Amino acid sequence: MNDIFIDVDYSQVYKHGQKIGGDVFLLSRNPERNQIVAILSDGLGSGVKANVLASLTAHMAHNLSFSPMDLTHSAKIIMDTLPVCKERKISYSTFSIADIRYDNSVEKIVVNFLEYDNPSALFFKGVKNIPWTGDTIDLQREGAFKKELLHRQTFNLEVGDRLLMFSDGVTQSGLGLTMPLGWRISGVNKFIERILENNSEISSKELTKAIVNKALSLDGLASRDDITCSCIYVRRPRRTLIVTGPPFSKESDCILGEKIKKFSGKKIVSGGTTALIVSRLFDKKLKVDLSCWSSDVPPASKMEGIDLVTEGMLTLSKVATHLEAKTPVYELPNDPVKKFIEILEDSDQVHFIVGTKINEAHQDPNIPVEIGIRRTIIGRLRKALEDNYLKETSQEYL
Amino acid sequence: MKKKDKILVKICVGTSCFVQGGADLLLYNDFLNPELLSKFEFEGCSCLGACKKVGGATGEEASAPFVMVNGKLHGNMNPEKLNKLLMEEV
Repeated sequence: MNDIFIDVDYSQVYKHGQKIGGDVFLLSRNPERNQIVAILSDGLGSGVKANVLASLTAHMAHNLSFSPMDLTHSAKIIMDTLPVCKERKISYSTFSIADIRYDNSVEKIVVNFLEYDNPSALFFKGVKNIPWTGDTIDLQREGAFKKELLHRQTFNLEVGDRLLMFSDGVTQSGLGLTMPLGWRISGVNKFIERILENNSEISSKELTKAIVNKALSLDGLASRDDITCSCIYVRRPRRTLIVTGPPFSKESDCILGEKIKKFSGKKIVSGGTTALIVSRLFDKKLKVDLSCWSSDVPPASKMEGIDLVTEGMLTLSKVATHLEAKTPVYELPNDPVKKFIEILEDSDQVHFIVGTKINEAHQDPNIPVEIGIRRTIIGRLRKALEDNYLKETSQEYL
Repeated sequence: MKKKDKILVKICVGTSCFVQGGADLLLYNDFLNPELLSKFEFEGCSCLGACKKVGGATGEEASAPFVMVNGKLHGNMNPEKLNKLLMEEV
């Protein structure tokens, strides 16, 4: 697994009263070609019309980024293709394209960045904002109704760097309401700097959410335009270790203990017998926490040095079911499954150590079929984590 | 009554006990005689190992869910039986 993780996420609020957005954020990861493309597009107007324009722009930009064509040429094609608005007799939509390419070890990350009429994106190195140095291209397209200027820059991303893209809903929030000229890019910049000073390792998801919420509150909690913010953040991956099932032979218990001790990151032990083994290896007391359970899953336990200790098969199969259905965490009751999913959502790489010993107690025919085979459930978990949550997973048997 | 004078009741929360009725026992606050609640201390515990003992205890007592009262193991437990058992224990 890589030692660097590119965390891309966004947050969005539609214009008040609209059920569909005029801002579109499109992200695709192409691990085979070591490429990530993130596009933010804002269509003219709001609602369905804007959404059509923005979606078209974003998808075209997306496909063209994966082609060998020059990005400037792609931009021309996009603008020539957009449909014309019936009222305003113009075709218009803004876009920002971040085409990120990296080498196999993710040591060197190069971004090709292109921006047309969106509020200027912000580039942060740690907590410091770095001013842009790129060039500007005048497209000089035939039949253009205004001057079309593209900003273009190529730069490297390192660990701790952030690139933030916004739609004008963010910079114009509070316009004429709480502030005469709106929040403006300088206000956004100050806000981000203050957040980063307090929490320099804030995830993309939380940072963009904070910005969008602030913009929404400046608009008096009734957004007057679609508000969208996206963030690309390069950081060390957050890792989680899940240990489930006792090792096949007793001699392997020590190996398990070593592996748990060596691992840096969050640790989850899932399984009653496994928990007993770990508690014996580390000589730490295991205490059942009767405040945290539901009728579906047995209570969690507490052990020093381990972030979460749960029961095995029932909990894992519930976790798998919820991950497959993408159930939001706030809908879950306060039980071990919720804590489990919270930890998983917060990590980038998940490693499973699966013990292969057969549990005699599960061979009783009275026991419900939910208790399947451990390996099948781990397979489901990994697939759901990779497909639905874009996490990296790995596993080993013991 | 001091805490150490209370009788310890361990309810197994291992998988097989939990699915075969142990979940109901954890709601002891709802079904037990309120007088009993003050005289016992309740805690969850991981598998007591009783479910694996083939040829150990036999008959009705030998199936899940298991509860350990004052160091003695009782099987095939349900809320009414637990209430009765604890009444006798006092």
